[in-house]
Amino acid sequence: MNWEQDLAGESREVQQAVQNFKASMEAWSDAALSRPRTAAPRTARHTWRMAAGWALGCVMAAGVCTGAVQSLHHRQQMARVAAQKAEQRAAEERAAEAREAAQEANAKAAKTEPTASAKDADLLASVDRAISRPVPEAMEPLAQLMDDSEGQ
Amino acid sequence: MLERKASTKVMAAGTALKPMTAAAAEEIAAQEFARIVETHRPQIFRFLLASLRDVDLAETLTQECFLKAHRNWEGFRGESSAMTWLMRIAINLQKDHWRNRRIQFWRQTRTNSVDLDEASEWLPSGERSAEQQMLAREQVAHVWQAVKGLSERQRTVFLLRYVEEQELKEIAEATGLSEGTVKAHLSRALERVRRELRGTR
Repeated sequence: MNWEQDLAGESREVQQAVQNFKASMEAWSDAALSRPRTAAPRTARHTWRMAAGWALGCVMAAGVCTGAVQSLHHRQQMARVAAQKAEQRAAEERAAEAREAAQEANAKAAKTEPTASAKDADLLASVDRAISRPVPEAMEPLAQLMDDSEGQ
Repeated sequence: MLERKASTKVMAAGTALKPMTAAAAEEIAAQEFARIVETHRPQIFRFLLASLRDVDLAETLTQECFLKAHRNWEGFRGESSAMTWLMRIAINLQKDHWRNRRIQFWRQTRTNSVDLDEASEWLPSGERSAEQQMLAREQVAHVWQAVKGLSERQRTVFLLRYVEEQELKEIAEATGLSEGTVKAHLSRALERVRRELRGTR
């Protein structure tokens, strides 16, 4: 079906309007196709906008990079401080443990090694035990005398 | 309708078939394509101009359309006319353009599309009185207003039918719609034009 037949049922105004629209489009298109072409220079506004966009982008990128670097540096510093503190704490703990160990060792040594007087007493006691003899009955009165004289 | 011959041999009268060299086949294909460009460029450009109302953009997309067609020229089997095939490419390019503009809205805040009044200024210089010229300009402006209010598909179908004078079957092939859908779109588009013209009285 022809396109004009489509419009057969339409009012005269619609038909005319569509025909004029078609003619207008043809005229515009022909004129645009036959116009002299020149390489359009980029407008200053466009260049300015592009430059501003680039500058803004660069600033933002620099800001992000600086922030990231600073954050990394700060984190590294914090980690270093924390490591130093941990090391110091460990050293202190080690020293305390050593001190405690030494004290314990001293105490143990003190327990196991008796004093010189105790040693002497023990020695005398053992000698007494070794040399003492039960006194025979016949010498009982003499032994009592010795005890008495010792008591006086 | 242009029919492409895929044969690689030339038959001369009364002679045996001579194999065609690759260079000669390419030369023929290039000439054929150049003829296609020359024949259909104005129509493709006009359709894109009417769709976009932007001369520079229409020119760019016309170039892209033929570039794409040239790349795929080997794959064109002549199942539809070359015009329908080219129009399908142009429609897809136009769709892509609108889609990209929707997605990348920050890239072009300003459009180069001319306004409807400027577009309505174009009229063929015929033997018309000043009054007739003015009336025609008014009518064209109203049709533009109606076209602006159409959906993308309705606009494409309307322009192909009433500006490019394509048959319904060709429009259906170019747009990938059924003929019934094309008719429905046309009917709605005409209704819009009717309303626009009625509303002005």
